[in-house]
Amino acid sequence: MKKLSMAVAGIAMAFGAAMAQDTILIRNAHIHTGAGQEIPGGFVLIQKGKIAGVGAKLAAPKGAAIIDAKGMHLYPGMIDSATAIGLTEIGAVRETNDTNELGEFNPQLRALIAVNPESEHIDVTRANGITSVMTLPAGGIISGQGSLIHLDGWTWEEMSLAPNVTIRLNFPVIAPISAGPGNRSSSGYEDARKRYEEQLDRLRLFLEEARRYEKAKRAGTTAMQSDPKFEAMLPVLTGKTPLFVFAAKERAILDVIQFARREKLKIILAGVREPGKALAEIVKDKIPVILPETHSLPLEEDDAYDSQYTLPAELHQAGVKFAFGSFDTQFSRNLPYQAAAAVAFGLPKDVALKAVTSNAAEIWGLGSQLGTIEEGKLADLILTDGDPLEARTQIRQMFIAGKPVSLESRHTRLYEKYSKRPQ
Amino acid sequence: MRHVVFVLVTALVAPVCAETPGVLAVRNARIFTASGPAMERGTVVVRDGLIEAVGANVPVPADAWVIEGAGLTVYPGFTNALSAWGIPRQADTAPPGRRPVAAPLGPVARGPEDRPLNTSWVTAQELVQPGDPSIERARSGGFTSAVVFPGAGIFAGQGAWMNLAGEKAGHMVVASPLGQHLTLRTSGFTSFPGSLMGVFAYIRQVYLDADYYKASREIYAKEPRGMKRVDYDRALEGVLAAPRVLLPAVTKVELERMVRFGAELKRPVVLYGGHDAARAMEAVKASGFPVLVNLQWPERPRQADPAQEDSLRTLELREAAPAAPAALAKAGVKFAFYTGGLEKPQEIRAAAKKAVDAGLSREEAVRALTLSVAEIYGVADRAGSIEPGKIANLTIVDGDWFQERAKVRAVIVDGVKYEPAAEAEKKEEPAK
Amino acid sequence: MKTLRLLAALAAMAPGALQGADIVIQNAKILTVTRGSLEGSILISNGKIAQVGEKLMIPAGAQVVEASGRYVMPGIIDCHSHIAADAINEGSVSVSSMVGIEDVLNPEDIDIYRALAGGVTTVNVLHGSANAIGGKCSVIKTRWGKSVRELLFEGATPGIKFALGENPKRRGSTPSFGATALRYPATRMGVEDVIREAFTEARKYRAEWKAYDARKAKGERALPPRRDLKLEPLVEILEGKRFVHAHCYRADEILMLLRLADEFGFKIRTLQHVLEGYKVANEIKAHGAGASTFSDWWSYKVEAYDAIPYNAALMHKRGVLVSLNSDSAELMRHLNLEAAKAVKYGGLTEDEALALVTINPAKQLAIDSRVGSIEAGKDADLVLFDQHPLSNYSKVVKVFIDGELYFDREADEKARIKDELRKRSLEEKQKKQTPARRPA
Repeated sequence: MKKLSMAVAGIAMAFGAAMAQDTILIRNAHIHTGAGQEIPGGFVLIQKGKIAGVGAKLAAPKGAAIIDAKGMHLYPGMIDSATAIGLTEIGAVRETNDTNELGEFNPQLRALIAVNPESEHIDVTRANGITSVMTLPAGGIISGQGSLIHLDGWTWEEMSLAPNVTIRLNFPVIAPISAGPGNRSSSGYEDARKRYEEQLDRLRLFLEEARRYEKAKRAGTTAMQSDPKFEAMLPVLTGKTPLFVFAAKERAILDVIQFARREKLKIILAGVREPGKALAEIVKDKIPVILPETHSLPLEEDDAYDSQYTLPAELHQAGVKFAFGSFDTQFSRNLPYQAAAAVAFGLPKDVALKAVTSNAAEIWGLGSQLGTIEEGKLADLILTDGDPLEARTQIRQMFIAGKPVSLESRHTRLYEKYSKRPQ
Repeated sequence: MRHVVFVLVTALVAPVCAETPGVLAVRNARIFTASGPAMERGTVVVRDGLIEAVGANVPVPADAWVIEGAGLTVYPGFTNALSAWGIPRQADTAPPGRRPVAAPLGPVARGPEDRPLNTSWVTAQELVQPGDPSIERARSGGFTSAVVFPGAGIFAGQGAWMNLAGEKAGHMVVASPLGQHLTLRTSGFTSFPGSLMGVFAYIRQVYLDADYYKASREIYAKEPRGMKRVDYDRALEGVLAAPRVLLPAVTKVELERMVRFGAELKRPVVLYGGHDAARAMEAVKASGFPVLVNLQWPERPRQADPAQEDSLRTLELREAAPAAPAALAKAGVKFAFYTGGLEKPQEIRAAAKKAVDAGLSREEAVRALTLSVAEIYGVADRAGSIEPGKIANLTIVDGDWFQERAKVRAVIVDGVKYEPAAEAEKKEEPAK
Repeated sequence: MKTLRLLAALAAMAPGALQGADIVIQNAKILTVTRGSLEGSILISNGKIAQVGEKLMIPAGAQVVEASGRYVMPGIIDCHSHIAADAINEGSVSVSSMVGIEDVLNPEDIDIYRALAGGVTTVNVLHGSANAIGGKCSVIKTRWGKSVRELLFEGATPGIKFALGENPKRRGSTPSFGATALRYPATRMGVEDVIREAFTEARKYRAEWKAYDARKAKGERALPPRRDLKLEPLVEILEGKRFVHAHCYRADEILMLLRLADEFGFKIRTLQHVLEGYKVANEIKAHGAGASTFSDWWSYKVEAYDAIPYNAALMHKRGVLVSLNSDSAELMRHLNLEAAKAVKYGGLTEDEALALVTINPAKQLAIDSRVGSIEAGKDADLVLFDQHPLSNYSKVVKVFIDGELYFDREADEKARIKDELRKRSLEEKQKKQTPARRPA
């Protein structure tokens, strides 16, 4: 309660001093640049939404708002590389969900244009130090386009950071029901395999049609009708836009990688859980990975109890570049703890931090603009009273594109309200 | 001495017996009596459906039809300790021993009082059709009898020892009722019981109700005046009629669970399944419950996903199951075999052989198909071994039944000889 | 499963620990939860904590566990879980008090071991929330490798699950289930009615038995009432012999249940989830119910839309006995980190936060004389962490229950190799035994 009021007071100060200003100097902060540098008692200058300077001591330009961050830590804002924030509000209420469209192949669908800037999830997630998220559709085989968005903005246009930078592919997978101990009943594997092959055939056919469309277009065929689905596939076919491919286990991942090689597609692997022998192939093709919640149960009874806890460290040791995604909306705010859990089981701390900052920025093609505290980058910053990957740490202030943003949410408002109920 | 030489001249259709001979003898055969040590060379005499004599020096009566026993082994008639043989297959009747599946929806049950999935009063003999093809198939595999149970429902019904030959089901019955067959089916999503927990609660309430019903009726019978009569409840009648309860339990967890639960029912209990018995031995032995071991050993499903590894637990159970009978024998727990979902004679024999390979002696294995079955069901006074006065059920095998190439030569059911259908074409050489 | 043999491995490593010899955990940072923190040692004798102190005499023959740099906290208690059971919901009826988790406890459920590896030593295994009055619950210790009887927490007061709100009314209000599947109730009003009717029936049942006992005492001829396994647990509730653990979300339904219980003269032992508990914390406190909630779940359904992560802190500050639970086989593996969130959301002290997953749930289950803190005389249910358990960088390295070492991270790592070898050899063997079949 006391801490919260302090945070709120801090924001009020920031608003008061810097609301209308585009020049802010943060001084005396312990700066964790995320680029391999720590500057105790350092200075960061924000101008026009960007980081104009980082150093042990910077002079305040005239008219700059000054924030004294003594005793506080400055980190890059965190990035959740897989959520549906803005597309869904209440899980169980169909009317509030805009993630799953009908049909199997919908590359033309854009998550961005359905993001609700008033979603309560935006404020709630922001309060834990997350400044941007990759928000994605989820349905069918090709679900649609994901966008990296800022968790701030009056409209989705203003929120947009990297629009439509990936297309989600739920790669067909053989998923029979596994037989439990003593269960002799047929596992349904053959049915599952048939379903998988049919889906795969349809996916191949769709790609082939998209290629023919591309060829015809290149050849300048005049009679050709524009097709939104195939238009959306063009940057995928040319390797400009990576596919965000969901695949959890060895067989599925190997399948995806072979598919990507054959079809010459650029991919990002998502939701990897048990790569097994596929790990070497991921390394070989330098495929970036979006890792799901570290705190997950092992997939098989015989798996080590910590098999999901140690996975990030294993990927790191193998040389895979990865970022963390919450693959969730209500728990997007727990992204930092997802990274910390991996540290408990062997992942170096700095890598964990990168996996929620700079790695994410690089994977989404914004490495030069986002993810570290370096001159010239967007000023997505958080001021904290400690390590942001620790739950006990409070986020005191946040800047998105240089603008101080509120850390209030539905939750803090209800908290304040009911704190005042007479005993 | 003149003997009537019994030559089988048979039709290809069942039943494949000739005129019923009043007297029949197998001489100079190897004999497993089950009640005593095996005889390397002995004679069994059968008269009017009963065993008249057995021994190394038993004379063959003058009026006997004779089977020359050289090279043959005579066993007490093999008996399947828990089966649905003879009951025509229905879509909703899973063979005993299979995992429970959701039963088709009847009227929605709102609690134990509605007696869902309860046909406790149904007897096996009501359902058995003497012409059912499973009967002849069983005989071809060397089985003379089976303890047949209705298999549908949680309270599936009452079992009977049925001899596997006869024109009418009534004739086939050796003893009935022998027990109530319980399964752990659920009613599915909408009807009670919808969960394993519900099934336990249901069974528990039904047995409480049954005892209450019995006591109330007794009190009423003593002095009806001044007392409200108790409603007739056929579900409870069926439960009360059965002298024992058959409870399913395959894994260690299930076995220990059923040992605890069975004790609550305060009735004789027989466990069926038994594959993990070695790991649950302490509890099983202490309970005193006999175990019917399912000969259908667990194995990897044919359609398993090749990428799906079996868990170590699953592998261990597969490894342990065929050794369960040997472990039970060693621990001194009474057990018998049932064939589960196995149907082909070769499969049944191979399964029994697996138990032998895993350490069970042949004598014990034979016992588990014969005398132990009779003892468990309380009919050892009339069946299960080759002893004078017992029902003349015999299994006659060319060689040793446990050997792969051994052939069932004939079975004798109630003193009548039957030959396997597949072998009926071959004519036997007249005895010299 | 690694599991059965893992125990064997542990036995080989630390025979004393299994045979009841004294154990000393020394040089540890001890978080007693109820009596502050200290650096020192814990002496375990006969499965109990014998002494806690900065300097202890080590008895001859005691086994020493060196714990310098380690943190020790009491075994974690999860007041809401569904592990270790082969069934969760008897959802066919609105009142399923005749069923019980104990009938379907599965001591070989791997989730027990996983929970153990997360420091959980005591679990309230609950029936699900499909109906207004659910089934009976069991409190267990995560004594992995033991039978059901040994799994059960000796002497713990039996419980029962109630459920309010969306879940119990779903079966009455989802037309897509089909007309025959519709089941009363369909509204929160109906949920109250179901509970009221059940207790009205239970009162009548109790009166019938009392009347019978009276007649019998007078030597009159009388037929006893029929025993009703559905009503017996409800009578136990009326008599205070069985705890009610009530799943609830919204403030209105919480208040409804408290008032209904007041009317029938029984107590709600814990409100489970109780996500809007912060709105009626005064009333919860006045009734004396405990509150067992999530740290930060929200928005997954309408009744969870006003859920806030400050709930635990707010209720705690109003004097409600609060615990944090998991309701999840995964989440229960790091309840210490859920507790850490209560420091963030609402500013609880570290001891207050740790209490949410130790002594508070122990009190809620009325087992606090046995477990929930590190005090002499209590069960030696102890968890060793490599870092402070409220740090997100921490992990469990050893877990003791009743002074027995049930989890050891190093032993686990060794057992993995052994299990893998065993598995491969069994696979090979069984492949040979089962000739390849043609695909069906």
